[in-house]
Amino acid sequence: MLAVTGCVLAGALEAADVEVVKVGSIKTTLSLSRMSGDAHAATQTFRAVLEADLLRSGWFEMAGQGATIEVSGFGRVSGDRLSVPCRVVNKLTGRTELSETFTATTAEVRQLAHRTADAIVFAVKRVPGIAASQIAMVGAHVGRQDLYLCDADGQRLRRATHDGAVCLSPTWGKGATELLYTSFHNGYPDAYRIDLVGGRRTRLAAYPGLNTGAVLSPDGRRIALTLSKDGNPDLYVKDLKSGVVSRITRTQYAAEASPSWSPDGKQLVFVSDRSGRPQVYVKTLFGKTAVRLTYEGRENVSPDWGADGRVAYSSRTGGVYEICVYDPQTRRHVQLTKGGADWEDPSWAPDRRHLVCTRTAGYRSHLYVLDVMGDPPLRLTTSEGDWYSPDWSSQ
Amino acid sequence: MKSTVWLTSIMLVCVAMVAGSGCRTSGEDMGEALIIEELDGDHALTDRFEDGTRVTDVSFDAVRFRYDSYQVDSAEESKLERVADYLQRAGDVNLVVEGHCDERGSREYNMSLGEHRALAVRAYLIGLGVDSGRIQTRSYGEEKPLVMGHDDNARTQNRRGEFALYR
Repeated sequence: MLAVTGCVLAGALEAADVEVVKVGSIKTTLSLSRMSGDAHAATQTFRAVLEADLLRSGWFEMAGQGATIEVSGFGRVSGDRLSVPCRVVNKLTGRTELSETFTATTAEVRQLAHRTADAIVFAVKRVPGIAASQIAMVGAHVGRQDLYLCDADGQRLRRATHDGAVCLSPTWGKGATELLYTSFHNGYPDAYRIDLVGGRRTRLAAYPGLNTGAVLSPDGRRIALTLSKDGNPDLYVKDLKSGVVSRITRTQYAAEASPSWSPDGKQLVFVSDRSGRPQVYVKTLFGKTAVRLTYEGRENVSPDWGADGRVAYSSRTGGVYEICVYDPQTRRHVQLTKGGADWEDPSWAPDRRHLVCTRTAGYRSHLYVLDVMGDPPLRLTTSEGDWYSPDWSSQ
Repeated sequence: MKSTVWLTSIMLVCVAMVAGSGCRTSGEDMGEALIIEELDGDHALTDRFEDGTRVTDVSFDAVRFRYDSYQVDSAEESKLERVADYLQRAGDVNLVVEGHCDERGSREYNMSLGEHRALAVRAYLIGLGVDSGRIQTRSYGEEKPLVMGHDDNARTQNRRGEFALYR
């Protein structure tokens, strides 16, 4: 059965590919049968994580003889280091797509496999991989809320804050080394930046009232956030160097929330309830009018503007929240999820193909990964507790 | 919204327009732009005061809100009148209005909705004569439910504005 869903990304498919067609997205066959190594546990882990990453990328189907892409190599541990010379050949064209040795300490074997998987994805498909990227989220467990991080495969879950207070809305700052978020640790909802390497926390906004939803501009120089200091919840942009705050919306009878930057940093997509219900709008930073993007559904919230221009959001239709994607080029809205639970808070992966979101069923929340090209949702979090408000790092 | 605030607001706008004091149009929601400008100036939050000591010998009933609404219903107005009376007698007491939502809707939108509710309560109290510098707002969105549970009764109790008094 041919079931190609969503759009095919540029560079995703080449004419020479042998395509295995089944339910879900089109895959290229790949063989790891000539990727082996010594008997060291780290080497075995590398092989297993690499295979899982390549499958999770969505582009490949594992095959033996006759696969289009053959990955070969032999991993060896020497001292505390694992080295894997890796060669990727397209058997149809005879071209060597990648020839590189990947090395790390055995303690970082998972990260090494992630890096290798991303290099293979890029060499074959010319699109960024997701294996080495990170996901930030809020975790709520035994009455505590904190920010957590995990790898794109849900492993290496680790706590990033110990505020002992309500925290909300983590978003990645520059690179994958800092987070912006809202914390009540000082009694009010204020915006902070936390350096994940040094652990230092910097206050970004603590005006009277609300300071929440801070997101860093693509050039890293400004944040957009919701403030209420002037008497109403509206969107503002703050220049981080000069500290100058500019008001973006001005709606006495409405509340704004959830800003997300356009890839060029000139526009914001956000939520406003000026129509009586929360809906998604777009506004050029200092333009005169906001344009409403969503009309279907009772309410539409949590927009995330992806690097390729598509906007993902959560839409309340038929009594539940569903994840939808709006493509400004075709002006079409596509619903990705099919009920059965509330699907909320989408965030784009760096490959522009996957999204992470919250799935809530029976009042329990877990993170899931969605594929705009049609592969089924994958559960990301398995630990006890509630996991929500995910944000996928941009690299 | 048949409230004193509304009447006061209209009067303020009229005064401002007569005085011709620089009403800019924002471009958004053109028809309401004049009112927006003047009211914002009037109800802007002043600097956060030091919380001081929480007053525990007095408490007030929470104001309830309809689903997705920030407006103070007329049935709730008497609760606010009691708070305003108290604040006018207890001149050394400051108030933080805490806005809350039920668990439906996005957490981030609920932070804004909770703040909108707290600000509506604050505006009402200012309309009853309480000095604006004595009232701060704090939204908890859906993060601090009063009642656990997911039925209509729990949700009704969770959509609220609470009064935290400090001396």
